[in-house]
Amino acid sequence: MADEASRATRLVLALSLLGAGLWLLAIFLAPVLQSRDAGRAASLIYAVFSPTCHQIPDRCFSLQGYPMAVCGRCLGVYLGFLAGLLAYPFIRGFSKLELPHARTFLLFSAPIGVDGLAGILGIWASPIGLRLATGSLWGTVLPFYFITGVAGLIVERRARRGGRGPAAPPARQPADPDVAHPPGKSVE
Amino acid sequence: MEQQKPEYLMPALIAGGVSGVLSGIPFVNCLCCLWIIGGAALASRLLADRTAGALTAGDGAVVGALTGIVAAVAGTVVEIPFRSFNMEQTRRLLEMLPDTADEMPAGLGSWLSGGSWSSPGFFLLGLFVSAVVFAGLGVLGGVIGVSLFGRKRVPPPPPSPETGPPHAV
Repeated sequence: MADEASRATRLVLALSLLGAGLWLLAIFLAPVLQSRDAGRAASLIYAVFSPTCHQIPDRCFSLQGYPMAVCGRCLGVYLGFLAGLLAYPFIRGFSKLELPHARTFLLFSAPIGVDGLAGILGIWASPIGLRLATGSLWGTVLPFYFITGVAGLIVERRARRGGRGPAAPPARQPADPDVAHPPGKSVE
Repeated sequence: MEQQKPEYLMPALIAGGVSGVLSGIPFVNCLCCLWIIGGAALASRLLADRTAGALTAGDGAVVGALTGIVAAVAGTVVEIPFRSFNMEQTRRLLEMLPDTADEMPAGLGSWLSGGSWSSPGFFLLGLFVSAVVFAGLGVLGGVIGVSLFGRKRVPPPPPSPETGPPHAV
């Protein structure tokens, strides 16, 4: 079981690192391409990112005179996510499939939540640097849920396919008589 | 004993519809991907309410991915009438900044007009990409939702017919 968890975690972590690296590369590449008359390729990248970000130019960092493909807050989230991925093996190891405490997530979400809510309500318009900082902080905690969740799903599916039947994902068969603590479950 | 299979579809449709619409409306969409992550967490909450036992992170990942796909479709549809409005807002914003206007790099105007990236090809590409990206964000939100809402206190087993209720006299 620990071996399977370790294998799944390593796989998900490697793919996530690759994906996050390419994602960030594309964010930085869009304005560079635009400035070098490769407008078609740049437009493609901007279009790819448009569903995930408002791309309002004055909320984006610019590179060579053109806005980056996402806003400062999103850039912070993605940079933080990459940092969290790099830190993951040192903090969690590879064989742990319990989700972190919910209060960890709430703690890391508080700054971006307050900043975002205040912006929507018109209480203040935070500078782009603060958006980047709160986004980075929040992004750092996300891999600890993402990696664990997807690795847990892989282990679950493999166990089910391996013919271990319903006992494989003991999620709905709590070991503790009071509170359920299945693999991939939050433990308080 | 047959394990109860969670019903993923309805929570995904509800939460994905709401988060997709919110992520497509101008001004409200300033939270970017947070709507999708929040929507997927909501889907986990709805799933937890409809499922007898505790949820696994895998359950959250599946319902989150479905939520993301639904949100991508809903958001793309909602965004269509606002597309020209969004472009106009961006153009006005840059015109309001005289420094920016003076130093505006060549080609920025045509980039803002969105001539090339409002074609049907880019639209379909955008839908596909947003479905993939939103599904990924949804997985994240769904797993976080399980962490927040997936735990359940297991009710005590019902008294067996032989022993009867604990305090029966």
